[in-house]
Amino acid sequence: MLIINCPYCGPRDQSEFSNGGEAHVKRPDGSKEIGDREWGEYVFIRANPKGLFYERWVHTHGCRKWFNCVRDTSTDEILVTYKLDEKKPNLNNFKSVVKTPSGEPEVGSGNFTVEK
Amino acid sequence: MKSINLKDNQFIQFHQKISFKFDGVKYFGYKGDTIASALLRNNINLVGRSFKYHRPRGIYTCGIEEPNALVQIISEYSEPNTRATIKKIYEGMEIESQNRWPSLENDFGSINNLFSPIFTAGFYYKTFMGPHKKFWKNLYEPLIRRAAGLGKPPKDFKGISNHIHHNVDITIIGGGINGLLAAKSFINSNYDVLLIDFEEQLGGIINNSNKISSIDNKEPKDWLKETIQEIEDSKNIKILKNTLVTTYNYINHLIAIEDRFVGSKPIEGKVNSTLHKIRTGHTILCNGHIERFLSFQNNDLPGIMLSSSFEKYMCRYGLAPSKEPVIFSNNSNSNSLVYSLIKAGLKPKAYIDSRSGEEIEPNLFDLIRKNDVPLYTNSQIKGAFGNKKIEKILVEDSSGALNEIKCDCLCLSGGINPDVHLFTQSKGLLDWDEKDLTYKPSKPFQPTITLGSASGQFNFDNLNSDINEKLKTFKVKKLDVKLELNTNAKYNIEKLWEVSPQKKSLWAKSFIDLQNDVTTKDIRQAITEGFDRIEHLKRYTTNSMGTDQGKISSINALGIVSDLLDKKVNEVGTTIYRPPYAPLSFSAIAGRNCYEFYDPERKSPIHNWHLKNGAIFEDVGQWKRPWYFQINKDESMHDAVQRESKNVRENAGILDGSTLGKIEIKGEDALEFMNLIYTNSFTKMKQGSARYALMLGEDGMVKDDGIICKISDQHFIATTTTGGAATVLGCMEEYAQTEWPNLKVFMNSITEQYATFNISGPKTREIMKKAFPNINFSNEEFPFMTFQFHEFNGVPIRILRASFTGELGYEIYIPSNSAPKIWDNIQSVGKEFGLAPYGTEAMHLLRAEKGYIIVGQDTDGSITPIDLGLSWMIGKSKKDFLGKRSLTRSDTIREDRKQLVGIIPSNKTDKLEEGQHIILDKEIKSPVPMLGHITSCYYSPTLGHDFALAVIKNGHSMIGTKAYASTSSMGTTGVDIVKPVFYDEGNKRLVS
Repeated sequence: MLIINCPYCGPRDQSEFSNGGEAHVKRPDGSKEIGDREWGEYVFIRANPKGLFYERWVHTHGCRKWFNCVRDTSTDEILVTYKLDEKKPNLNNFKSVVKTPSGEPEVGSGNFTVEK
Repeated sequence: MKSINLKDNQFIQFHQKISFKFDGVKYFGYKGDTIASALLRNNINLVGRSFKYHRPRGIYTCGIEEPNALVQIISEYSEPNTRATIKKIYEGMEIESQNRWPSLENDFGSINNLFSPIFTAGFYYKTFMGPHKKFWKNLYEPLIRRAAGLGKPPKDFKGISNHIHHNVDITIIGGGINGLLAAKSFINSNYDVLLIDFEEQLGGIINNSNKISSIDNKEPKDWLKETIQEIEDSKNIKILKNTLVTTYNYINHLIAIEDRFVGSKPIEGKVNSTLHKIRTGHTILCNGHIERFLSFQNNDLPGIMLSSSFEKYMCRYGLAPSKEPVIFSNNSNSNSLVYSLIKAGLKPKAYIDSRSGEEIEPNLFDLIRKNDVPLYTNSQIKGAFGNKKIEKILVEDSSGALNEIKCDCLCLSGGINPDVHLFTQSKGLLDWDEKDLTYKPSKPFQPTITLGSASGQFNFDNLNSDINEKLKTFKVKKLDVKLELNTNAKYNIEKLWEVSPQKKSLWAKSFIDLQNDVTTKDIRQAITEGFDRIEHLKRYTTNSMGTDQGKISSINALGIVSDLLDKKVNEVGTTIYRPPYAPLSFSAIAGRNCYEFYDPERKSPIHNWHLKNGAIFEDVGQWKRPWYFQINKDESMHDAVQRESKNVRENAGILDGSTLGKIEIKGEDALEFMNLIYTNSFTKMKQGSARYALMLGEDGMVKDDGIICKISDQHFIATTTTGGAATVLGCMEEYAQTEWPNLKVFMNSITEQYATFNISGPKTREIMKKAFPNINFSNEEFPFMTFQFHEFNGVPIRILRASFTGELGYEIYIPSNSAPKIWDNIQSVGKEFGLAPYGTEAMHLLRAEKGYIIVGQDTDGSITPIDLGLSWMIGKSKKDFLGKRSLTRSDTIREDRKQLVGIIPSNKTDKLEEGQHIILDKEIKSPVPMLGHITSCYYSPTLGHDFALAVIKNGHSMIGTKAYASTSSMGTTGVDIVKPVFYDEGNKRLVS
């Protein structure tokens, strides 16, 4: 289980939070004409990278505030959490972190426990 | 095998006899004995039958790694698959052996051993395919699958467990010499430390072997006592004994299970195990090593045991399982067993080592020579033989000659492995050590430190420097411990995984996994058949998939596979070690979250009245709602629902609607917010009026519905469905925070603050007048879809004129505390008008007659408002609202979408059923094109026949046509497709 640092409450157990999928997905402006593709991408298409990922979480069993974070999807490490109105951090700032637990290839599940 | 007691032992209380029953026969052991040590003391070597071949099996080890000696504890909820080697006996304990019939001695299933050449790897996969479906039911399931197995599942739930959470700086796992030294370093430091050991006594190999002769010039036992005392006295260190760490999760989250009744019978009603959930800054793994076995013909016979286990029985349990065991080894770890035996005045019958004379440690040589122990170097055991126990072994000596040695016990050592299970669970990386022939921890992934043999340091020469170096970051005082050994040898091993049998035979078996009856032949066969990846091979052969997870054998399998494939072991890799380290019961995981504590039960303020008045409840989310009310015990559900529905249509009914979600929305921009959340437009709506509203997902599908009351442009109250309340509030909060943070709006759940009574029926106005005499309920003063605030006997109430039944109706909102009183009052004044309570089922029937949908029953997340015929509810002039743009997606404007229609049987006496498919042909000829299905179906007391709602393809244009409803069991029924309104289409009853 992860420990997630709520920007309002501090570090709390993962069980208090709910995941809200990819962050920084802009909702198209309803007052303007929206094309099928643009709307379809907003509703249905989300990124699913292996590695660093901007993600939304909500402190459901806490302050009920939404916030954003950068999570490494291959290690589950949450590198930073920040409020919705804060600028999104540059992913290049996090290059120094271990990318995968077991030096796995960039694509694939990588069931490796032995050092390659 | 005849055992002898070694009474010079501090752990076994030889003055305290304990009686227990094994397979119905009474035996005696001593206080401190495990089931295994007590059975060995009684010279019982046969303790179970094997999984597949029903071969006789004995006690192989002396700890958690035991593959064979699994027993059923009859006296403890019949707990199956208990390791006899760790479970302590107590007075009156009842134990049964497993997987045998009719008895352990004479097991019918052992016939499987005769057929064993066909029960090879992949037997189930190949056999259970055919030849006919019936074989599964009549042959495979009852006969073959029943013959395989371990214990019987217990009938009762195992005793209670609780959960304890810890939040510490350092957790030390394992209280052996390294664990104790690590803990000692932290004495009176600023770190919160948890020291966890699986055994009742700390000490590890100090207790289990004679390897160490002195520590700091003291007897090891004295040093141990002093050190434990110091650690116990330290305020910052907590010790958990009898506690096994089973799981090492991400962010140093550990799960450990503590047995609260070691050596005594669990008391019913008392917590008998505790699950510790530990969050720690650093984890120090000192969990030691596990000895592995060797494969040769019949290496599973009772009387064969690991050599370190034999020594542990001597040192820890005051028991030598045999007076003269033969020892077979390929490494130096068994040296101390020779030493222990001779120290106890016993002597090995023979010492067989696969290593050459030069490799064998000189002091072992001396010991063996001095005591005239027959020594076979460069030799291997080709096989063990005997009837249900080991009687003789066949040794091939260095010259290639075969020697037969009679014996009753054989001690094996195939080398030792660091116990890397927890380390790899933590995602640490392993590396193969070609010299020590084992996987050792290399790169930790988390803040994990490994010490001692758990880190692959099998010698003690770097003890101080290793600990000092690895604990450097904590800036604790440095250790300087002087350690003397009895057998001062460096760990040395020669590669040996398997000895091939002397005679080739289909029946010759060299086991690689004792618990799952996997032989080395199975491994070969699997590789021949193409399963040469280790993960595939494991699943195909079931190697190391037993409850012991192949603790003594999985590395041997890797060795054999690497030889067969001519690859390095590092290239073969290991299978993944997954939690738990050892099985833990479901009751331990569940803790107190079971029965009434499994999920909260929510009850309305009127719940007690319902109980007294014959309510039968249904679960709606966490809520208990009256489903229907029985006027007497004989009344069936159908009768009750018909009676209740009829009464609403003819007189009046009252429904407890308190469970409906209620959300209050306030703020400067509340109006704009509501316009964005719901499909309807609230701008032109008058203050004090209400509106039925729909909420969509961004995909345009109906997510929830409810009635919105507009108190002002800055203040709304919304109701939601009972099950959707939390989701709707969550959605509102999400959009308020993430998409429209500029809007000044706040929302809060008021579901529990207000009770809701729905009264409806033609006589409702009369009842309301009588119940609330100060309020004018005339149609002019109180029109349909308006609400008013009033005070009644000092209680503020809100009355909304709305209806879900199609009759004249009012909803009364009352603060929960005052609700029961007002409910009682309405009941008593309503009596003369025939007012009766009705439940959710009658409500469903009545609303279906009006064609009102229930979100989640008539919709399923793929239905738009247009599909429901509710286009009038869409505020088309609004620029934006949730899901608006999706209503013009190519998919949502498709013509053949499933749409809501009404269905009535063409022949009015025919019955319909929920879930029936609507099809066009009377005859069912597959494939049948399916138009859709019936979502709601009831018998209407008003119409006098069945009617239904359905979603069918292109439904709106099919109204007026005929079709068929079908299920495979009932055949087809002719139906008419009609408008989804069956009662009072003009809404006269609602609005007048």
